[in-house]
Amino acid sequence: MCEFQPKLIAFLDLELPSEEVAGVERHIEGCEECRNRLAGYELVNETFDAYCDAVMAAKTRRPIPHWVPVLASAAVAAVVMFLAFPEKRMEPPPVLTPTITAGSVPGPMPVLAPPAPEPAPRKKMHRRHAVPAVQERAVKWRPTETAVQIAIPAEAMFPPGAVPKGLNFVAELSIAPDGSVKQVRLRQ
Amino acid sequence: METHVSDDSVPLALPLLRLAAGSLEVTTLYRELRKPLLRYLVCLGLTSDEAQDVVQDAFLSLQRHLASDRTQENIRGWLFRVAHNQARNRQKSYQRRFSEPLDGEMDFLADDATPEQRVLEKEKFRRLAAAVRLLTESERECLLLRAGGLRYREIGEVLGIATSTVGDTVERAIKKLAEKCNV
Repeated sequence: MCEFQPKLIAFLDLELPSEEVAGVERHIEGCEECRNRLAGYELVNETFDAYCDAVMAAKTRRPIPHWVPVLASAAVAAVVMFLAFPEKRMEPPPVLTPTITAGSVPGPMPVLAPPAPEPAPRKKMHRRHAVPAVQERAVKWRPTETAVQIAIPAEAMFPPGAVPKGLNFVAELSIAPDGSVKQVRLRQ
Repeated sequence: METHVSDDSVPLALPLLRLAAGSLEVTTLYRELRKPLLRYLVCLGLTSDEAQDVVQDAFLSLQRHLASDRTQENIRGWLFRVAHNQARNRQKSYQRRFSEPLDGEMDFLADDATPEQRVLEKEKFRRLAAAVRLLTESERECLLLRAGGLRYREIGEVLGIATSTVGDTVERAIKKLAEKCNV
């Protein structure tokens, strides 16, 4: 092994005592083995440096936020839907306006469950047909559907302590044809 | 206060800049040494967030240090030493994480590289990573500090070892890498 080899890395790092530098430089000019080793060490330095940069870049790279792909797919889906069903955008919102007077109510009308309008028709609807469709729905309306729901706390109807806590009643009102209350029925 | 956009995707720490606004010296040092410090810490095994915290703390310490009229000859070595110690203190699982290899996601390569270049580069990194894994902790730390631009004397100050020991350790480590990488 060449006697200068142990000095090559310190020479490369500029850490060699100044009085030794000139001697090493002269030796390298004439020693191919040392020149090759020096080139090899330089390559290791470069690779190590590039490797550190790569590790740093990989670790500090900001990941794409989760909402970006979600938002992007949602946007794509919206565009696809818009292109696939262009006529849908002309569809008016379902208008449910049952106009009922007291006189038109033929029989008892339970007043409990929340209004449950029939779902809007899913078939294609052109704007011009929207109004007749609503009229048809008004004719089909049945007074058995709940129109109003009133919640009255038990304490307001019974003396304190008369009703165990947590017990609730539902009051069903029957409305007479003249609009007055015909019958009140409590059920649990 | 200036608003900076970092050139390497690592954001500059705003609290530090606010504190250092009156000190041109610290601000200049921060711009100069932030990246080498971050790279050192990240390569040691810290996460990006941890490394940024440590770097910021190190500069805050420097700011306090200089504000108390104390002089510091070798600020670069001082910063690396503070950062190194903070990194050690922060890491609960120091042994496990510091012994982890430097590999990781190695898919970061130059965008203009051809597929062949990418394959060669990846293979070169893979071999180096395998060789780095075989180094001792001290050898790895010496090489990382050396790659950060520190002289042997500064490395010795950071790690608390003699300058001659640093020289021996660096030489041993470089020879190991050269041998394993076949270069």
